Amino acid sequence: MNQTKAYPFAAIVGQEQMKKALLLNIINPKLNGVLIRGEKGTAKSTAVRALAELMDEREEVRGCPYSCDPNEEACWCDACRERFEREHQLETVKGQMRVVDLPVSATEDRVVGTLDIEAALKTGEKRFEPGLLAQANRNILYVDEINLLDDHVVDVLLDSAAMGVNTIEREGISFSHPARFTLVGTMNPEEGDLRPQLLDRFGMAVDVTGEHEVALRTEVIRRRLCFEEDPESFAALYEPAQQEIRKRIQSAKALLPRVLLTDNLLTLTAKISIFLEVDGHRSDITMVKTAMTLAAYYGRTEVEKEDLLEAARLVLPHRMRRTPFEEGDLDFSKVEELVRKEEWQEARP
Amino acid sequence: MKRRAAFPFCAVLGQENMKRALLLNVVNPKIGGVLLSGEKGTAKSTVVRALAALLENVSVVELPLNATEDRVVGSIDIQAAVQDGACRFEPGILMAADQNFLYIDEVNLLSDYIVNSLLEAAASGINRVEREGISYTHTSRFYLVGSMNPEEGKLRPQFLDRFGLYVKVEGIRDAGERARIIRRQLEYEKDPEGFVQNFEEEQRALKEKLARAKERLTHVTITEAAMKLAALLSEKAGCAGARAELTIVETGRAMAALDGRTTVNLEDIKQAAQFALPHRARKIEKAETGQETESSGEDAASGKEEESEQSQKNSSGNEAEPAQKKNNVPENKTELEQKEKNSLSEDAEKPDGTAYSDEIDRRVPEKESEKSGEHPDAVLEEEIQKIGQTFEVKNWTGEMAFPAVRNGSGRRSIVHTSSVMGRYVRADFPKGKLWDIAFDATMRAAAPHQKQRTHSNMALVVQKEDIRTKLRERRVGNTILFLVDASGSMGANRRMSAVKGAICSLLNDAYQKRDRVGMIAFRKKSAELILDITRSVELAKKKLELLPTGGRTPLSAGLFLARQVLCSQLQKDPDCLPILVVLSDGRANAAQGTGNPLKEAFREAAKLRGDGIRCIVVDTEEGFLRLGLAAELAKELRADYYKIEDLSSDFLTRIVRRLEEF
Repeated sequence: MNQTKAYPFAAIVGQEQMKKALLLNIINPKLNGVLIRGEKGTAKSTAVRALAELMDEREEVRGCPYSCDPNEEACWCDACRERFEREHQLETVKGQMRVVDLPVSATEDRVVGTLDIEAALKTGEKRFEPGLLAQANRNILYVDEINLLDDHVVDVLLDSAAMGVNTIEREGISFSHPARFTLVGTMNPEEGDLRPQLLDRFGMAVDVTGEHEVALRTEVIRRRLCFEEDPESFAALYEPAQQEIRKRIQSAKALLPRVLLTDNLLTLTAKISIFLEVDGHRSDITMVKTAMTLAAYYGRTEVEKEDLLEAARLVLPHRMRRTPFEEGDLDFSKVEELVRKEEWQEARP
Repeated sequence: MKRRAAFPFCAVLGQENMKRALLLNVVNPKIGGVLLSGEKGTAKSTVVRALAALLENVSVVELPLNATEDRVVGSIDIQAAVQDGACRFEPGILMAADQNFLYIDEVNLLSDYIVNSLLEAAASGINRVEREGISYTHTSRFYLVGSMNPEEGKLRPQFLDRFGLYVKVEGIRDAGERARIIRRQLEYEKDPEGFVQNFEEEQRALKEKLARAKERLTHVTITEAAMKLAALLSEKAGCAGARAELTIVETGRAMAALDGRTTVNLEDIKQAAQFALPHRARKIEKAETGQETESSGEDAASGKEEESEQSQKNSSGNEAEPAQKKNNVPENKTELEQKEKNSLSEDAEKPDGTAYSDEIDRRVPEKESEKSGEHPDAVLEEEIQKIGQTFEVKNWTGEMAFPAVRNGSGRRSIVHTSSVMGRYVRADFPKGKLWDIAFDATMRAAAPHQKQRTHSNMALVVQKEDIRTKLRERRVGNTILFLVDASGSMGANRRMSAVKGAICSLLNDAYQKRDRVGMIAFRKKSAELILDITRSVELAKKKLELLPTGGRTPLSAGLFLARQVLCSQLQKDPDCLPILVVLSDGRANAAQGTGNPLKEAFREAAKLRGDGIRCIVVDTEEGFLRLGLAAELAKELRADYYKIEDLSSDFLTRIVRRLEEF
């Protein structure tokens, strides 16, 4: 649906944390997505949809329903693998990372894929008809109001998100295909909760609130009106800023493989997690990866303590609740205190 | 599909118990699998998937959550039927899993239908397929490996028993170790192939060790003393059936073989018991397993099943049971219950109250006089009591099904839904108007007849009698509406605090079972919907916390509002399974009209009964002077009636049992 021009990312007023979280996920698709929590009308969906304009071109295998990456053999689907064995090469096309929508009303068959009824009736052939998870491979899977999604669909999402593979054993079909996607969900916490298990699958969570400053709010309205009046020229107006962001993403991507971090920081990460009694190890790993991506985003190849702290703010908030009723607030001053104490101990001979 | 190089087994740091349990199973498949239960992000799935790379001649077959019944048990091969007119069996997962590990991630979320198929095959070691013109039997001996996060729900005891060993998995708390885990993960992600190569040497050594252990296993002997110890430990844990002992012995043998010995020593048995008993023990601390085992109803169910297939059943398990049950009773009593022992016995002797309508008339004036006196009802000032003691709710939504009686559909929280939402688990014959056709099942039904039918340009000719529709189930919770009496009388003796504690416990459980909740409070002159039906259990808790008490008791207004809310909810979502929980002493003293407040309340109650809404009345009355009005209200509502003294986890179990039978 590219008929209507999307609101440019660069034109979104405020919401810096949300924007940064989304950008980090584009730079490093291994960060496991973002959950955006907040009231209605806080530019959540706008920001996610605006991402599409920021992504650069990439290579895809021609005609592959999963947009396989011709350069990454380990992640090919069966068809691509077979084709490569037969023809010893794969025809490629230029493609772009997309935002794939998963509507709350989606049925399970449409999400995981199902039997191709037409082929079955006409030729008696049993063929797999790919679903949304197939489209989502190498893309962003966006679920608006994710907390309202039916539980069994959530289970399926979890399964695939965890493994990067969608395995289907249903409706006479036995099939599996790659499904490595960045999950972006938005929700309004007032309308119910997400299960902790799903929360944990999100790399980071950001809470957004409406802007409270009158000047900023006015600016929001002004830009929106401008955009609605003439989307084309509004987009043109922000094109230089958009270009700036694209460049930054590209250079961060290039820098990322060279980012290093010290063992001290690793230990500090572990200490923060232990101190906060976070379940499991997923938070540690995500925290470190986020810190590395942040360093790349700032144009550095060395992770600094500040990066780690910033990463902690993104990665930990939604993992703080051990029981449904505990207040899931992250008291960040305690983390900072812990870090200071560590520093002090390090400074001692 | 070939996956990218899996994380090597040897590269997993820590989690020794989990790794050992899996290796023991590789050495000796007779152990019967492992259940890994623990918090999220603790390498459960990683380790199982890593295991596959270590195995020779055996594989790890995965059963995904979205599997439908036909793919699990196997079915007719449509393609062969249509294209060659052959009636051929297409094997399902149970065939693939024969002599292999069957791995189910998030096993506690698996559909009951699938669980039943698995249990059936597991019990006999044979998968018998009689469906869609196919009659086929094959052996299916698989070793179940499951992983789950107990926060998400529990497993049925029969199913639990099928897992040989149980490992509770926890995150590592040592900072240095954790740092190493992060480092390894980063290295692996950067270059999976290179990472795997680094561990090749270690992996090969482990493979060889396993092969030697397997060979040695046949020579491992077990002493009489060790066997006795196994039996003793199982009996002590109160395990039903002989599977516990057998598993301990087989595990012990595997341990000896793995450690290079040929005799099982007592230490092996002790260690083995730690793996084999936690999920089978009847009396067990919750903290240790996160998995509650059951009494009464399920004992019978699982016991029966046990008997039918294990002829060499050891009686020790059965002997342990009654003794254990006795032990359970005092444990489940709350302080409250102790405190109110006297009044409890008094209440128990209360007659059934056949002529209760007369009694009401007699009692009401009595009530009016009380109000003006110094009775707690007269306490008019408001107060907000804290949430009292909460407790773990035991099986309140009845995950424990009654398979024989309830046709296997099991769970109270599972609805066979008529809408197209929900997980398609199996196909059924169409009932009523045709829609939501299960094409796969329809084609399978049509497939055997293709030879006889005349074909036009379609390869497959479907006739009306072939058509099947999808049977979908939806893990909706119930819609539980709490009708809370917040009048002055509830303020006395921290009564409200106890009630809040009870509601809070239910809310905790409601969260896990994905119930929706709502809350109405009535006090002073009216009832107020303080929380509309929502999935946000958290919000309910907040509202509960702030709920004040004080004023009179407009019970009828509360019931009226409750009926309105639930009926409109039913209209919106016919699958919503409403339950009304009334927490009150029934002493209605504020009417909406001009009549007798109590009679008015009863009239409202009768209407609710007419709508067929399930109700539970929790009587909050206390002290020696009891009017028993809540009991009468319960009768009027045709509700289950409980006294607040019963508010323990045991109580809740019983409530829901009754609901289940309904």
